[in-house]
Amino acid sequence: MEVFLGLLISGLALGAVYSMIGIGYSLIYKASGLMTFVQGDILTLGAFLGLTFNTMLRLPYWLSLILTVVVVFLIGFLIEKGIIRRLLNKDVNLIYIVLSTIALSYVIQNGAQAIWGGTYLYFPSVFSVTTVEILGVAVQPEVILCFVMALVGMICLYIFMNKTKNGTAMRAASMDRMAAEACGINVSWTTGLTWGIAAGLAAAGGMLVGPIYSVYITLGASLGKKAYAGAVIGGYGNMYGAMVGGLLLGLFETFAAGYISSEYKNLMAYILLILFLFIRPTGIFNERAIQDE
Amino acid sequence: MEKTQKNRMKPYIWKLLLVLVLLAVPLIFSGSDYIMLIICIAMIYLVAVSGLDILFGYCGQISLGHAAFYAIGAYTSAILYNRFQIPMILAIIAGAVLGALVGAALAYPASNLVFHFLSLATVAFGEIVYQLLIHSPGKITGNFNGMFTDRMRIFGIELSTYKMFYYFMLVIAVVFIIGKIFLTKSRVGRAFTAIRDNSVAASGMGINVRKYKILSFATSAFYTAFAGGLYMFLACYVHPDQFMQKQSVMFLTMLLFGGTGSVIGPIIGVLAVTTINESLRFLEEYQMLIYGILLLIVILAMPGGIAGTVKKIYWAAKRKFSRVSQEG
Amino acid sequence: MLLSANEITIQFGGLTAVDKVSIDIEENKITGLIGPNGAGKTTFFNSISGVLKPTEGHVTFLGKDITGKKPYQINELGISRTYQIINLFKKMTVLDNVMVGMHTRLKSGYFSSLLHLPGERREEKEAYEKAYQWLDFVGLKDRAREEAGNLSYGKQRLLEIVRGLASGPKLLLLDEPVAGMNTAEKLEFDQLLKRILKLGVTIFMIEHDVNLVMGVCDSIYVLEYGKLLAHGRPEEVQNDPEVIRAYLGGE
Repeated sequence: MEVFLGLLISGLALGAVYSMIGIGYSLIYKASGLMTFVQGDILTLGAFLGLTFNTMLRLPYWLSLILTVVVVFLIGFLIEKGIIRRLLNKDVNLIYIVLSTIALSYVIQNGAQAIWGGTYLYFPSVFSVTTVEILGVAVQPEVILCFVMALVGMICLYIFMNKTKNGTAMRAASMDRMAAEACGINVSWTTGLTWGIAAGLAAAGGMLVGPIYSVYITLGASLGKKAYAGAVIGGYGNMYGAMVGGLLLGLFETFAAGYISSEYKNLMAYILLILFLFIRPTGIFNERAIQDE
Repeated sequence: MEKTQKNRMKPYIWKLLLVLVLLAVPLIFSGSDYIMLIICIAMIYLVAVSGLDILFGYCGQISLGHAAFYAIGAYTSAILYNRFQIPMILAIIAGAVLGALVGAALAYPASNLVFHFLSLATVAFGEIVYQLLIHSPGKITGNFNGMFTDRMRIFGIELSTYKMFYYFMLVIAVVFIIGKIFLTKSRVGRAFTAIRDNSVAASGMGINVRKYKILSFATSAFYTAFAGGLYMFLACYVHPDQFMQKQSVMFLTMLLFGGTGSVIGPIIGVLAVTTINESLRFLEEYQMLIYGILLLIVILAMPGGIAGTVKKIYWAAKRKFSRVSQEG
Repeated sequence: MLLSANEITIQFGGLTAVDKVSIDIEENKITGLIGPNGAGKTTFFNSISGVLKPTEGHVTFLGKDITGKKPYQINELGISRTYQIINLFKKMTVLDNVMVGMHTRLKSGYFSSLLHLPGERREEKEAYEKAYQWLDFVGLKDRAREEAGNLSYGKQRLLEIVRGLASGPKLLLLDEPVAGMNTAEKLEFDQLLKRILKLGVTIFMIEHDVNLVMGVCDSIYVLEYGKLLAHGRPEEVQNDPEVIRAYLGGE
């Protein structure tokens, strides 16, 4: 029972991070009809930036988190404006956009290595206690923080998307670009915003997993790749699907590692991804966006 | 009369010259074993990238997981040779056939997926194969220790120098390129191109779209897996980390750099990317960073690959020239 | 009957696009399908050519039930079609478009293609010559080497028709074949239809050009709001009060 509860808690925390990356995938797909391969490395970047703010500038964890999200939001926005938008305007084959995001991931991953080095960097504990007890299970408080903060982030996003003008504009633009433009919505701005928000979410994810796993240059690469499974399980392009799918993936992976073998947890995550693509590509939420062409 | 004969002779002269240059390569670089090794690897890549071109350039199907086929070819041939003493060339062919079968098995369910989701499926496939390499049942792949084997030997002759391997590769590359030309200029190749251009109309014209997607995947996988087997017996050692997504992206980069849907494209692409990689090697830990930046610049500056850009410049120059000559 | 569609119904969600429509197509005749925009004509065509599976009803072709077969299977059985929105292989040459059309007529398989075996060579050579003959049939022979996307709209329509003919169909479905053609091309079109008929190919076409339809068709079906409104010889349909109401009152 204790084992089960322990796995459940860490599964939810990991799942929450997958959700945050997955939401980014879905938002971008809905807004631009594109798939990005740089989210994972943006998570790494967020973790390194946050660590730098936290340890070198000695800013409190909270302030580092906010600063990181703001900075990476801008980077995401600039990626869309400086690279993606330019390529779209040139009307290139989509493969070049895919490749450009992969090239970006090389730049971020290897740029991070050049700046911060190739070793594991220890992220100082956020709290003064090393463990807290939940229902008789000792848990690292950072794990709870991760899950709670991710939930808070998703609730904020929900409010932003549904209750604010920019959020409504983003939703409108992702449904029908032309109609939104006709209504006076600046679609170019909302698409940039989408990439910014996606990047900000991933960076926040990096700040949340940093204290749990330490920070290293391939931290985000495999998280980002596995997060596709979460997004597809939920229904690629569906924000809520990405939340649920990410949590399910985190639980699946953690329980598979705990009860079967940790050697095969990555393998099983990718098998899950490919099976969903083949058998139910529209995901649990039956998102039809995947059949657009 | 004389002029037409001269024109008819011209292509033969070029071809003869090409053959002579290709034959002379090892003599030119006879001083450096390292350069000969790089050239041999480049020729192996040429086979792999030509295979990817059949899939992407002709049939329009994306793959971000071709390193997996490369791995299947390398490991299968090495296992067959090391454990069962099967002759190397047969082991390579067996590895390529297995690659083709796996490719077909992947393409069957994947054929309904459109662009981005096909790329996701191939990413997942690449990762699955990689995970199986590092956590193989019974450590049959050597897991993180990698895998060792012997130098290429064919008909009892060991290709003990890179020079000898080069001539062997020359024959192989020519055979594979001719196969590609035959296939893409046939009824089957037209079906591939029709699917790339307009899959709805292709189906309406009696083309079984799924069948031909499977055929192009299998052919492509055969090429790339064959290249993997060749690499195995050239390098005599492989490590799983050589078959990560980075390698798949490299194949794709080579193809896009050179230009898709042609014989010459992969040749240009492999030469260009290999040269860039080698000349960035002195940067050591900054190599991948600069490579990434360079890649971004190239995509932004000439999104048609080198071949596309050259073609564009050629047409622009031709238009300008014809205008000038008209005015004059 | 060459083809019979029996009580075809097609629904999208709760919406009925085609409602219990039955038609018969006689061999070696030109049958027309007309009706106001949004009457469900193209949807009905799609159910015959296999793009859509009808919700209810059956299509019989040459005595065989072909309902729900895939487009490529329908083409193999001998029904070829053109599209309302031109659906050529735009990046391929004009000649290659026709040769793709001959796909089901050619027999060379994967390995004989890969190895370029003598049988395949012979077949390809014959196909190449035959394709030129087809292009000659619609006067596109001298444009064989151009990219199909470079042709004018009207020429693209002709290429699409000849690509369909190249598959050797018994029945050719034409969806608004003269849309986008210039006047000269339109005037020649009824002659082309008659020449196609002489090849032993039956024609079933959707067309808005009333003069053309009334001039060439042996039999006409009229659709409105997914339902069959009238059916008969051109002059019968022309004088049908319901049809007059639908056309004059509807547009």
